[in-house]
Amino acid sequence: MLTKELAIARYVDGQILPDRLSRTKHAKYLELAEQMCQVYRAGVGSMRKSLHHEIQKILEVDPECPIRRVGAFCKLLDDWSEFDAGKPKKTAQLRQRVFRQAANLHPLVANVESILDRSEIQAKQQIAQSENMTWHELERQLFSDIIEHHRLIKFDSPSDTKDLLARYNVAQTQAALLDAKQMVVESTADWKRILRFAKLANLMHRIEPIHDGFRFTLDGPASVLRGTHRYGVQMAKFLPGLLSCSGWSMEATILPKGFAKHADTPWGSKQRWVLKLDANSGLQSDTQAGGQTDSGVEQQLIESWKLMQLLLEGARDLEGWMLIREGDLLVRGQRVFFPDFTVVSPSGFRVLLEIVGFWTPEYRRHKAEVLAAFPDTPMLLAIPQSLKAQWKNHSFSVNHRVIYYGQEVLPGEIIRAIEENS
Amino acid sequence: MSHAASSNRLVFDAGTLLLDFRLPASTLPASTLPENRASGPATKKQLDAWFGLNLWTWDHRVSMWRTDACYYGHIRQVLSTCDTRIIDEVPRMDTGVDTQSTSVLVTFAAERNLPPLRAEQIQAVEAWSTTRRGIVVMPTGTGKTEVALSIIAQCQTPTLIVAPVRDLMYQWHRRILRGLGIDAGVLGDSRHDIRPVTVTTYASACIHATQLGARFGLLVFDECHHLTGPIRADAARCSIAQNRLGLTATLGSNTQSLESLIGPVVYELGLQQVKGSTLADYDVIRIPVSLGTLERFRYKELARQIAQYVNERRQQQSDFEWKDLCSEAAQGSEASRIMRLYREKESIEDRADEKISVLEDLFRLHLGEPMIIFTGTNAMARQVSTRFLIPCLLSHCGKSERLDYLEGLRDGVYPALVANQVLDEGVDLPEVKVAVVLGGKSSTRQSKQRLGRILRKRGDARAVLYEVVAAETKEVQRSRNRRRNDAYQGTRHRKVRRRPDPS
Repeated sequence: MLTKELAIARYVDGQILPDRLSRTKHAKYLELAEQMCQVYRAGVGSMRKSLHHEIQKILEVDPECPIRRVGAFCKLLDDWSEFDAGKPKKTAQLRQRVFRQAANLHPLVANVESILDRSEIQAKQQIAQSENMTWHELERQLFSDIIEHHRLIKFDSPSDTKDLLARYNVAQTQAALLDAKQMVVESTADWKRILRFAKLANLMHRIEPIHDGFRFTLDGPASVLRGTHRYGVQMAKFLPGLLSCSGWSMEATILPKGFAKHADTPWGSKQRWVLKLDANSGLQSDTQAGGQTDSGVEQQLIESWKLMQLLLEGARDLEGWMLIREGDLLVRGQRVFFPDFTVVSPSGFRVLLEIVGFWTPEYRRHKAEVLAAFPDTPMLLAIPQSLKAQWKNHSFSVNHRVIYYGQEVLPGEIIRAIEENS
Repeated sequence: MSHAASSNRLVFDAGTLLLDFRLPASTLPASTLPENRASGPATKKQLDAWFGLNLWTWDHRVSMWRTDACYYGHIRQVLSTCDTRIIDEVPRMDTGVDTQSTSVLVTFAAERNLPPLRAEQIQAVEAWSTTRRGIVVMPTGTGKTEVALSIIAQCQTPTLIVAPVRDLMYQWHRRILRGLGIDAGVLGDSRHDIRPVTVTTYASACIHATQLGARFGLLVFDECHHLTGPIRADAARCSIAQNRLGLTATLGSNTQSLESLIGPVVYELGLQQVKGSTLADYDVIRIPVSLGTLERFRYKELARQIAQYVNERRQQQSDFEWKDLCSEAAQGSEASRIMRLYREKESIEDRADEKISVLEDLFRLHLGEPMIIFTGTNAMARQVSTRFLIPCLLSHCGKSERLDYLEGLRDGVYPALVANQVLDEGVDLPEVKVAVVLGGKSSTRQSKQRLGRILRKRGDARAVLYEVVAAETKEVQRSRNRRRNDAYQGTRHRKVRRRPDPS
């Protein structure tokens, strides 16, 4: 991730537009990216300082290129690299030996004026000799452990140099989010993943249903007390995950620089910028897009349902029934529950279907808590025959029904259970 | 419902306090019922009237009232005055005075090794003890650390000490070990070891603010003017600690926000008050140096181009300022080229070869006296270090290397040290009477702190601060600005005639 010092953005009509290199407007950057990667590929053994200098020289071709963009590319390339941190201990010991020796000759003067003066050149030769090297070698080693002097060992070149530009665009958007106060995501799909990434980033959520999905408002504990960008880093961390989801749009509120000074004034509290983004913004994430079901039983149910529809097309008993994977989401405070499926009857009656898979006491307790938190929601629980004993004494809410299954959950049994109870 | 059992309680949550209050408003003390809604749940108005502050915000995400952890002292006091049946689940951090079975007491080694306090230090400790929250303002070199150690020993509660940089953090660690016999935990410098007494830096304290919030009863902010900005302030805001001590030599401009986070200024000792008694007298000597011919030529050209650009911009936009240039430069274009020129111009100011030769003369002049040299940049510090082969104290130095250099300077192993800002604050450097400033910005605080380095009393010897500035550059102006500052008032200013150039 980039630091704020490397962030570049434009501000237009209340919107913040992070620096973005596009294929049309910045066509030459494709070639520059190739050149930059080439510098690192060929740069094994070079000092970080000189690699960065090379990058600066490459980008000088573009007179419009801001200094921060140079810094940002250096940072991203460094992130793909491995540097030799030198031998800090040995180098520090070398320095201490050299400085102690020089202390006896202090001051090393360039203008020898009296017989007592110690000439810089002679003193340095003498000290270097006692270290068994030339002064030139000694000078090179003296500060070899500082970050700018580290030497490149390895560069994990991206398979496609376009990746560098893609990474740059995401990194600038993340950098803009560092000052974010709040993030609102509206989505028609992938809710579970969105919430999982929000949880990973340690953000708090508020969820409201909207016409074809949900609105997630993400921020942190102290956000209700004041506008703070304390959680900006977490929102920046959340972004790559969000980018790997589909069907979303996002609006982040960004606090302007120095907002705290004017926060109490009427104009200060209104001063803010908005960062807008959606699933089609063209930003690419390297977070892997999952989307597989959690268990084999669920996968099997989806397949049998499809098969049944195919075989019995037009058959009376399946007509009008729908099975939607993770189609609903139940919220109570910070507790969110995604039942595995939503089953919709021909008359539009919705029943949530949760497949119980494991036998551990923790798992059972967790499931029981979830059921207790949503006693008014019609739910169908599919429990394996083998766990019948475990759940025998559980008192279910009148809205919660149970079916026991053997090898797999059969569509017909689901429909029968719902029909019996409605 | 699991909620019902745990209702009516006060808990600590990630740097904030949550009040789960489901009792009807009728259970509140009678005086706090401005509205006649005795049967419903308490409203914000009622809660605020009860606590006497605009304190609580309803957090509908968790269905509880929320506020900053720093109000814990006040809340606790209010709760203790009436029977509310609110269970206080916030960890106890009581001081030795108030012993409860749940208290976390910190006891220090019996044989404390604290030097006897001087009169002004005793006054400072006493002034703080009346409020147990507040800021002590004392110039560098007048023993702020001893004041703090005395207060830490007195409080006997888990203590977090926040220092500006890693050197100072380790210095606190050593002083606590020596003075109180406690091996304090270290948070920062890639170490994460939290103990009842812990030292840390502002950067780490604010990153970990939410975890640290309920673990300490006393916070000590060294050089507390660093506790500014919306995020940094969280180091104080997210903590339930009721005892707070701020230490600084200069309060700066944001006294109000510091006072709200730490407490009022309880004691202030001016620099002029102590000069001559506790501190040595000192001279400030400015040495102007001229740039080499090439440097001067390039410098003038750079200055001309920058001025021309700024003038052109001012014609379009009369209030065009330096910061506008900076923000434009961030977006590319012509401004970014001008920025590059400016950096080059700055580096000429910084690295003028002539300064190195002035330094050579000063080394000759003060042979046998320990010296400290301050530079404007890391690169310049390394350049001086490589040229004279004197230790260079930069942030990359490991702990033991720094210690070797600092102790080595004190013990006469090394004749001099060169540093950039790392040494600017509080690192103990006894017995140094000569300092040289090669470049640096005009900040008041920085020069005061730099003076502080050399102001330690030793016999009757006067201290000297040399400012080596490049003539015909902006640096001369900066040096003049500095001299208007309080710290320099009444000091002598001399011009040193330079040895005629042989060429």
